[in-house]
Amino acid sequence: MIRIARLAVAGLLTIMAMGATRAEDALKARIGVLRLSSSAPVFIAQDKGYFREAGLDVELKFFDAAQPIAVATTAGDIDFGVTAFTAGLYNLAGKGVLKVIGGMSREKAGYPLIGYFASNNAYAAGLKTPKDLAGKRVVVTQVGSSFHYSLGLLADKYGFKLSEVKIIPLQSLSNAAAALKGETVDAALLPVSTARKLMDEGGAKFLGWVGDETPWQLGAVFAAPKTLTNKVLVTKVLAALAKADREYHDVILAAMKDGIAPINEKTRPLLEIIAKYTNLPVEQVVGNCAYIDPDGKLDVKNVDNQIKWLQEQGFADKGFDANAIIARDFVKAD
Amino acid sequence: MLDRAASEIAQDAATRPVRFRGAGFVPASSRLGGWIALALVIALWQAAGSAGLVNPLFLPAPLAIARAIYQLAISGALWQHVSASLLRIGVGWVLGTAAGVAVGFAIGLSRLARSVGITFISALFPIPKIALLPLLILWLGIGEEPKIATIALGVFFSTAISVYSGVDAVPRNLIRMAQSFNVPFATIVRKVIWPGALPAILAGFRITASVALLLVVSAEMIGAQYGIGAFVLQAGNLMQTDQLLAGVVILSVFGLAVGKVIGWLEVKLLHWR
Repeated sequence: MIRIARLAVAGLLTIMAMGATRAEDALKARIGVLRLSSSAPVFIAQDKGYFREAGLDVELKFFDAAQPIAVATTAGDIDFGVTAFTAGLYNLAGKGVLKVIGGMSREKAGYPLIGYFASNNAYAAGLKTPKDLAGKRVVVTQVGSSFHYSLGLLADKYGFKLSEVKIIPLQSLSNAAAALKGETVDAALLPVSTARKLMDEGGAKFLGWVGDETPWQLGAVFAAPKTLTNKVLVTKVLAALAKADREYHDVILAAMKDGIAPINEKTRPLLEIIAKYTNLPVEQVVGNCAYIDPDGKLDVKNVDNQIKWLQEQGFADKGFDANAIIARDFVKAD
Repeated sequence: MLDRAASEIAQDAATRPVRFRGAGFVPASSRLGGWIALALVIALWQAAGSAGLVNPLFLPAPLAIARAIYQLAISGALWQHVSASLLRIGVGWVLGTAAGVAVGFAIGLSRLARSVGITFISALFPIPKIALLPLLILWLGIGEEPKIATIALGVFFSTAISVYSGVDAVPRNLIRMAQSFNVPFATIVRKVIWPGALPAILAGFRITASVALLLVVSAEMIGAQYGIGAFVLQAGNLMQTDQLLAGVVILSVFGLAVGKVIGWLEVKLLHWR
């Protein structure tokens, strides 16, 4: 009995000692991400040990929607968040509880990410290009989401009013796909991963990619103001991410043709890392690579435009702009 | 042994008078108690908010919520939201209840309906209606039909279960007596079973009315532009927590109102008790 107790105490002590030394050696950080290729540099930096080399002990926390990442960052459950801008994120940032510290994925010509898709009937009735969406019934996941904003940009580009489009929020991608397949709406904005499956089944027709129509800054790295006081930590995390950004850009994005990355001895290791973290086969990853700036830059002008748009629509609180939510010390602007 | 105990009791009774104890539990509801408790909680909450103890983002103060409701009311959007939701809740609840009462009575009265019905109800009741949304969209589109169907489905199962339990609970000797007097079947149902089952059915209504309110949020996930559920969802998506809670408060007011109506119905219909 005594011997067991002694063993237990010794074991506890060693565990505590190990914990203590590790805490001294490495800066700890918890990063919240989605299992999407738009967070590829985070996966690369973690898998290839760029965080470790910088003396960081990074733990990835996986989420299944963008909004909870922003909320968890505010609440202090994670230190950094990497995900798409949403109206909710801006509203949190506008209250000063979140700061944007770097750029991530972008909608850019040649890199398919989100697309416009028509139902078969609407396509047959003459809905052939994104320009024709004026006056149609279009599904988005949520009001004020990145899909909704993309549609707003499209309206500006082709000079029709967004109010002419009947926006139908269906809350989830599966609902949106079902509505499109069931011919109850004319069109939907869907990410390429959802749309591929739908098109293969003949349930929808492709109209165009958001990136080709209206490029914009889709995602960002952000943190709570409390985390930003630890300058060393933030600088190290961003440096490791920038290294991965550069590698992802030079190896995969530079080799992409027709929106698809080739699988060869150069790209395969990185593609396999992305496949591992996104739980997708490599063959699906190649057609689903988000553009990410090689230097991790942020398109500040576009961020400001997003905020203004959301404020005009009444989705974001008034009285703040991009400058108020960006941590100037860390962000590299376009 | 027994004799002694009896004699002791007799002795006790003789020496010590006992006040009447068997009054039963009667939790009379005081008219003011509930309101005072509510006011106290709100006052505490507002005090915590005003004193800066709570981050307004995580828990907006009651005043901020009141302001959000007021703004919604003067913009006119509140009535649009409320009327759209009330229509869905009303139609869905009536349809679900009508079907539930019919099926519940069938299960309570017929052997065939009972064996088939209970199996299906047990199999289908626990399916979360939210999981069926994509299917409902495929079947019924994105108009009012799938929203009403979501609410009606949720209401139907609870009603059917409470109705057949109510029918089962009607004292058998009353039914047997009516049968011995050769009362026709329809009259037994109308005069014996229906009043006997009514307390359970009304208790079921209390639950299903709340279920309908709960489900309006899921129902309005399906492409609703107006409705309290749609408003709550949008506020959540946009992280506008004061508006979110404003929507929740409106739903609670609905709940209170429905509770009052059913309380009134109970008094009216069950005065014989």
